[in-house]
Amino acid sequence: MAREIYAYKCRLCDTMHYPFRMVCKNCKQNDFFEFDTVPLPKEGKLLTFTRVYNLPPQYEVPTLGLGIVELENGMRMLGQLDIDEPKAGMAVKGSVEIVRQETYDGYYGMVFRSA
Amino acid sequence: MRDVYVAGIGITTFTRLEFALSEIASYASMMALKDAGITEVDQVYVANMGAPRVNHQTALASAVVDSLSLTPAGAAAIENGPASGGSAIKAGFQAVASGMDDVVLVVGVERMREVNGLEATDFVATLTHPIAEYIYGVTLPAHAAMFTRLYMDKYGVTERHLAMVGVKNQNAALNNEWAHLQQEISLEGILDSPEAMTNNPYVAEPLRFFDACPVSDGGAAIILVSEEKAKELGRPLIKISGVGQATDTHAVHEREEPTDLLAVRKAAADAFEMAGLTPDDVDVAELHDAFTILEIVESEEVGFFPKGEGHIALEKGETALGGKIPINVGGGLKGRGHPVGATGVAQAWEIVTQLRGDGGERQVEGANVGFTCNFGGFGNNVVCLTFEKEA
Amino acid sequence: MSVDLEKILRPIPAEMAPYEPKYMLLASGEAAVVRAVDRDEIPDLLKHVEPLLHVERDYYDVVASRVYAELLSHYQYRFQDQYVLAVQVDGELAAIVNGRQVTPTLGLSLHTLALRRGLRVGAHAFAAKMEYHFDVLGHDEVLIVAESPIGFRRWMIEYKLEKRFEIPHELGGVPSWALTRELFDAARSSLVVGRRPVPPEILEKAMEAILPPSDPPTPALDPLSATRSKYDPTATALMVERWAMEGGMQDA
Repeated sequence: MAREIYAYKCRLCDTMHYPFRMVCKNCKQNDFFEFDTVPLPKEGKLLTFTRVYNLPPQYEVPTLGLGIVELENGMRMLGQLDIDEPKAGMAVKGSVEIVRQETYDGYYGMVFRSA
Repeated sequence: MRDVYVAGIGITTFTRLEFALSEIASYASMMALKDAGITEVDQVYVANMGAPRVNHQTALASAVVDSLSLTPAGAAAIENGPASGGSAIKAGFQAVASGMDDVVLVVGVERMREVNGLEATDFVATLTHPIAEYIYGVTLPAHAAMFTRLYMDKYGVTERHLAMVGVKNQNAALNNEWAHLQQEISLEGILDSPEAMTNNPYVAEPLRFFDACPVSDGGAAIILVSEEKAKELGRPLIKISGVGQATDTHAVHEREEPTDLLAVRKAAADAFEMAGLTPDDVDVAELHDAFTILEIVESEEVGFFPKGEGHIALEKGETALGGKIPINVGGGLKGRGHPVGATGVAQAWEIVTQLRGDGGERQVEGANVGFTCNFGGFGNNVVCLTFEKEA
Repeated sequence: MSVDLEKILRPIPAEMAPYEPKYMLLASGEAAVVRAVDRDEIPDLLKHVEPLLHVERDYYDVVASRVYAELLSHYQYRFQDQYVLAVQVDGELAAIVNGRQVTPTLGLSLHTLALRRGLRVGAHAFAAKMEYHFDVLGHDEVLIVAESPIGFRRWMIEYKLEKRFEIPHELGGVPSWALTRELFDAARSSLVVGRRPVPPEILEKAMEAILPPSDPPTPALDPLSATRSKYDPTATALMVERWAMEGGMQDA
């Protein structure tokens, strides 16, 4: 089964949120946990990016690519980039993989590659 | 609401300080108490971000208030990321303005060099969104870098502009004996010579080593008092005339226009409105240049220059000492250093020094109105203050 | 000691080509010269290394004591095929690097000691010594270890070194890392800088004398030292000392 990262859709006004929040940013009306989960699209275009050279000690790689992607549905998300020479505006496709390893625990997040 | 005045200021050298955290805080506080000529206060606010995580110490305010023998005064620590200092000043302001307290000591302190640089980077990165940002390995330099790239594409800011801010502020620190960096740099050495790209490597593309502030230890303190008390103490009358604080989305990608820093815009507008001032009235400003790009953007968002023209003002020298609106004449975070909890208070320290006319070689002539912008998170929690000298 | 015994004790040196000096501009805009240090000049270095033995932070004590021993034994002919390079800014000593040739194809990096900080002098010095190993001595590989986290980050991560953990390094027998010619060539464009020839007036200034470093690393203040004093168990003496160093309280 392909792993997903979820957006949260308000049951009252249909506004989508990522990441999760307790109260809808648009209607501010929800009671407890009134959101439906909707998988975030995997395709999008790269809005901005960087390559980081000073990483937290948990990382054993010398550098890490990061970027903010504008997804097909207009939402944005931050993810790791597995792209040698990123360009703003390029088409990218994400997959959900382990993005951080703390002892035995892996944390899943989106890794984007050129589409 | 009562008027609030700054009656005393104190600071430690910003550098690597191998002292207990409460001693660093106490040292700055003692200087401020001595400056104000008092030995008793009603309330102590300690601004600090990392004591529990970096220094393995909690309830820092209790340690500080007792170390200073100020018991039984009230005391509380305020943790609000890099905006802790500004937030603590706001709390102190409210305490005096409300009439509840007459004398409040606000001290900011941080000791980040107790751990190595990578761990310090990770500690600061914990202020990012845990699920949508932190797990990806995002650091503050990474956020600033992605923001910079957008700004370069949209407004034509170049690496040269960033380097110009770095050179301006790091060299300004040479006039500030308390500043961390006491090393002159030149545009040739960090940008133009064949060796420059090796001297000044990327920390997060397109930001380079000399675009980022150093990791520092240090403390800064100010004493806030009521008008009656201020006149009794007889120190120069420096009034905090405007306070503004605003927040923005925790995750940076959720902001509608990614090149806007709306929290800075709103906090500054609120502070100016409360003071009845406009950005044009400001004689000297301290902006939160944790990264060089931030000085340029903040100078626009707070209203000194139109959006997208901060770097043009920089080119013309309008932000240097002697320019239209001198910014970070004491080195800013870039030159003075950035002990995160202390920074907001250190900005106030610099402005009060300027308004008192004690700036020495970095004095802005005829400074009557000062402004600080203390920027927390990546722009998700911002405190702006205005200071005015009363004759 | 008889002359004959000294002959036995002295290593027989291998032929090692000389290192041609180079210079580069630092972030401050100052020119730094990297040049080989002759055996005769070793005592001039030793007196600036000695104070660092007592700098108990960032592993200056460990590195300085080992460098001191290496330089001294080199001077006294008790070290096989060591070379020493120095970085000077306006004549002042800014960094020392040394290493040795193990075989004609294998080099070994000993130490990098920066006496001026915040300007990447140490990084330039390290790059120069790798340049000497690969471009001048013609080694295929250099064995490296780091003693400080700063060194580890610089050398291991920036150059993306390979593991040679099966080889115990001569410095303390810890597992070695290796810089290969291939990795060095990949790092060359971004990390190895410098211009030749050095303008005569700059070179002359450097060759004339090794001047003392103007702002060398100093021992950290030990916050507990006063508590160890039988006269002052409360540590206040140290705070008072600190205030005095910072020019005392501002006048109220």
